[in-house]
Formats: sequence, C-alpha cells, structure tokens
Amino acid sequence: MEITTATRDGAIILSISGRIDTATAPTLEQAINKAIDGGNRKILLNFSAVTYISSGGLRVLLATAKKLKQPGDKYALCNLVTEVHKILKLAGFTTIFSIYPSEGEALAGW
Amino acid sequence: MPGGSEPLISQQWQPVPGAPAAQIYPFIRKIDTLSSDSCLIQTPDIILLIDPGGFPEQAENLVRITEELRKETDRPVFVILTHAHIDHFSGTVDIPAFAHTGVFVFAVQEAGAAVLESGDGKMTQADLLGQAIRPFPIGLPLVTAERAGAAGIPVSLAFSNGAEVTITRGETPGGLAWERIGFGTGPVLDVYHTPGHSPDSICLQVGGLLFIGDVLFAANPGIAGLCGWDQSALICSLDGIESLLSSGTVEVVLPGHGRVIAAADAKRMFASIRSDARALENIAELNRERAIETAAFAEECMEQVNELFTIMAGRLYYVTYVMEELGEDDIAEEVSRLIKGDAIDELLEVFRSFADEHHKGGGVSIHLALKAGQVIGKLQRSFDGPELSRIIDPALVQRAARLLSDYTTMLRGFCPPRERAECELIGHLESLVTGLSVPACSDSDLLASDDDDSTFTRLLLNRIGMQPLLSDVTFTFSAGEKSLVVAIDHDEFKDLVTYILEDLVGIGADAITLTIHRDNDCALITLRGTGCTASDAAKTEGGFLGRLSDRAGGTLTSVTAGTEREYSIRIPGLI
Repeated sequence: MEITTATRDGAIILSISGRIDTATAPTLEQAINKAIDGGNRKILLNFSAVTYISSGGLRVLLATAKKLKQPGDKYALCNLVTEVHKILKLAGFTTIFSIYPSEGEALAGW
Repeated sequence: MPGGSEPLISQQWQPVPGAPAAQIYPFIRKIDTLSSDSCLIQTPDIILLIDPGGFPEQAENLVRITEELRKETDRPVFVILTHAHIDHFSGTVDIPAFAHTGVFVFAVQEAGAAVLESGDGKMTQADLLGQAIRPFPIGLPLVTAERAGAAGIPVSLAFSNGAEVTITRGETPGGLAWERIGFGTGPVLDVYHTPGHSPDSICLQVGGLLFIGDVLFAANPGIAGLCGWDQSALICSLDGIESLLSSGTVEVVLPGHGRVIAAADAKRMFASIRSDARALENIAELNRERAIETAAFAEECMEQVNELFTIMAGRLYYVTYVMEELGEDDIAEEVSRLIKGDAIDELLEVFRSFADEHHKGGGVSIHLALKAGQVIGKLQRSFDGPELSRIIDPALVQRAARLLSDYTTMLRGFCPPRERAECELIGHLESLVTGLSVPACSDSDLLASDDDDSTFTRLLLNRIGMQPLLSDVTFTFSAGEKSLVVAIDHDEFKDLVTYILEDLVGIGADAITLTIHRDNDCALITLRGTGCTASDAAKTEGGFLGRLSDRAGGTLTSVTAGTEREYSIRIPGLI
C-alpha cells in the first residue's frame, strides 16, 4: 500500500493505492492521525487505487469518523472501485460518511 | 535426558521407554503434507530408520547420523516405512547411500512393497502431488500372506546388509495381524497391520513407543478418500490400535506427522477419529481430478468468504460505532467481541498469500484445497453464529456458515443430493424481497419496548445491525403470471437472489427491477439495476454465482452496459 498526500481547497487529500489489510491498515491509520494531529480537520480519502479493504481497514475508517465530528469537520471518501464500494455499502458505512465519485465532487459537495 | 513417559525431544538421542537397550532420535517436523516425521532407533544389534521423509535434506541428515553410528559400531540398517505414501520416503530416491551401498534394506508391508516395486503413482499419491516416482526394491516385505500360514512358527531370514532376523507371526487380542521381529539379543520390533489410511499401513512398537503412521489423520477432510483408503478397514484398525493402547504396554505414541502424544491422550483421540470415520460412508475418491476441482471451488469460496466476513465484521463495527455515539460503551464492547475481526483478517491473508505462492510456483491442487480446508476450519470457530444473528442479518450469517460448510463437505468427498422441491416462484420471490425491504424491528416494536431495558437494547441493536438491503433503492417487482411452479433448491435459490441483489446494491444501483415471467417451458427471472456506479462485467458463467445457480436449479447469465447491470436466471421445467 502507498499513500500520497496533497492539499486542495483547504483539505488534506490522502490518495491510497493497493490493499488495506491487516499489515497495511495501521500505516493508513498513522497517516490519517498525522494529518489530524497537524490541525487538518478536512480529510478526503481518494480510494481510486484501493483494490481491497479488510475488516481492519474498515475499523480505521470508523476510528477516523469518530475523530472528525466537530462542527466544521469534513470527512469523506471518493473514487471507490466496485468491490470496495460494495463492502462499505453492505456494511452500512455509507450512512456514517459520504462517498463521492470524484475529488472535485467531494470538495464541492461536503 | 528425558525418558519413561516424558515427551520425546526432537533431534536428540534419548532412551526408549520400556526398552533400556534401545535409544531413539526423533526428527519431529511441523505438520504438512510434504514430508513426514522421521526417527532413528539404535540397539546393540541394529539401526532402524523409520519413515525417512519427503525431503532429500531430511534423508541426507539421517544418513549422515546413521553413518556416524556405524563408525562407532557397525550394524545393519533397516529403513521401515509405516506406509508407502510419497511424503514418507521420496527424500531417499536420489541419495546414492540408499540405492547402491546395500547397507540400507527397505521394509514395508507386503501391499506397499508391491506398490513401490512397480512405481505405482496412484497408490503412493505421487500423481496427486504432481511428482514422479521410480520403482525401487524392497528387501523385507512385512506382514505377508505367506507367513500368515505359519502363525507362531519363527522364520529366519538373512539380508545383504548382514542382518539375520527372526520373524514370528500372530494376531493381537484386538484382531490385528502382527509380526514380531527379533534382530539378535536386543529389543524386538512389533509390526501391526493397520490398513485403512492405505492398504499397507502398519504400526510399529519398540518398547513403550508406538509409531502409528498417518492413522491419526485418516478421517480428516482431504485425507480420507485418498486412493487406497478404506473406511471399514480403518474402523477395524482403529479398534485394534485402541486395544493396544489399553494393554498398558504403550507409553508414547509417535504419529507420522507432528508432535508425540502420551498414550492416554492418544486413546481419547482415537475414539474421536473412529466416530469421524464412521460418518464417512460413500465418500468420493480423492484423486488428481477431484483435487483440481476442489481447489478451484476453494478459491471461489474464499473470495466469497472474504467478502461476507468483511461485511459481517463491518456491520458489527457499525453497530459498535452507533452504540458508542449513544454513550452505551459497555454494550458496544460486548458487541465488538462477537466476531474476532483481526483473527479473521489474518486467516484470510494467510490463504491469499498461500494462493499467490501456489500460482507463482505452479503448486499442487491438493495443497491449495487442504490449505482452504484448514483456514475454513478455523473460520468456523471464529464467530458465534447464533449470537451474531441476533444483531446482524441472520441470512448473512447463515450464508457465511453455509459457504464454509459447503466447502468442508466437498473437501470431505461427499456429494450431497440436490434437494430440489416444488416451489411457487412468484410468492417465494415476493416473500424474499419483502424481507429485504423492511426493518427486522419496526418503529412500533421499538417504542413499545421502552419499559424494559434489556428488550429495548436487544431491539435497538437489531434495528441498527439489520439494515434492510433494499431500503435505499427504488425497487419494482413485476410478475407476468399469477403463478409459476418450478423445482428448485430453496436455500441455494434464496442465496443466489440475495447475492445478486447485494451485488446490484453494492455497485450503487439506485433502482432495481425484478421481473418474472414464463418463457416457453421455463421461468425467467430478470434482476436489473440501473444508475450503477460500476461498469466492469459481473462474474457469472463458470464463476461462483454460476455454480450456485446450477445448484439452485437454474442457469445464470448477466450483461453490464454503461450504468445498467442485468442478471437473468432461467429455470427449466415448469410444473
């Protein structure tokens, strides 16, 4: 798994590629925590190159949702591949945070 | 140095309990299907090498130790195989010391001798494991038919390695054909014929040690049904071995794979194996073709298992999240314990890594099938189905459990009959989609329960955990007839339709239409999702859903075009 970080319209965008599994989920959590600890309260996760997410990965997504629930905080995912979208949808996560088709739509819509 | 009834230590010389003149050097490996454990025993008269294993380096190491012993005191060496499966001897085939020196004389039960001298790829399991086998000579066939006629009369034999042995034939009180082999003045070797795992399986006793070959695994999925496996012979052998264990002469049991076992523990294990073996009537032979088919199903199955378990764990995390939001931390903690998410993730990862290596290295199908069986067995123990079903959708939990069970059934070699029964399709489908559209717990149920804390909590968890699959989509049901009766497998059909609806919801369909109508003598069910966010093709024909449809009694096709995906299930034979 690889993570690249960019800033756009006042938000931190973490673009993740590869598998989010037992081995890599802690790395994702660390990267998100680093962004939040740095004072960023608008986090967008671009999942366009995420091919798989395990239950450990789902837990990281929920832990982030818990940290970003103050007024003005923003947290969303975008560009999900079919398999990952299906897991999030059927697990019920789409009611906790928003999922957008693209970075642009996320930044315009959240 | 350990002795008596204490466990034996691998790769260390130690006294043989009950035979002070003998010493044992066990070579105990982690259990796998590639190579057996091995063992050296030395007495003043002889060196015995039991099951030299499947790896050349393992056999070479044993040869080296044997040569050192012979330098100290030159003695004949017998290589005794508990049975002629390739993982117990193939490490020796390219080592010159075994083939040319005349020092090592191979001994195996008479049926195994015939197998090895003819290079039989099926009975040695070489074909199943994708290995080649060359014939080689057996100097001492054991428990022979010829000696059966001379029970109680010692027979003397001389060998190229200088050994002179005396063999006396008999039968144990437990009904096992038995030979006692004397090599001189030292301890004797008792050989018991225990067919079942293979026709030539034997157990060996020296002092208080009983070597049992692979009988401990003979009823396991992926082992039972191997070419040469025999259920009734296995049960008789198990009875005979239990009788030996009850005789009080055995202190330690050495299986062909894995750690040694105290005799009392082995006795309990044998009772359980016998019970398992009794349930294995009419299982299919586990040959190369079935191994390939099982491995293919294993991969499909694990892909679905991965998805279902991730969704189930995700649902529980969701419930936990909501309960924490409500300040109900204790309940959240309790809910989070219902599934071992980390353990499940690790198991799924283990299988994926194994499968990746398998495909890279051109691995053998039976290994992949067995790995899946091992992982699935652990998955079955990693979640509490009934408790989970009280919180998340029971159909999801049942489907996961059924998937695991279906794989185990296939690996075991059972071919369950298709349980097709008449079904009025329109009513059946209406009932199914209604169940997927309304909450399991209604608003009024929830409101009516607020006087009772525990009932309210249960219903609240239920309400949060069981989100109706079709609650966020526009769903249309359309039937072209009033009634259509067909023969289907109800459970498989229900699973099929649910998997399809989950797929359509999962890929973001905002509207789903289910139509059902007559098409000549078939019922045709179409499920179409529109407004989908995905455009890649669905896996149907030949894939998991295709096979599921076949088991349900229909044929499945699918088309994906732009933002629409359509599945069609055709069920023949309208009644």
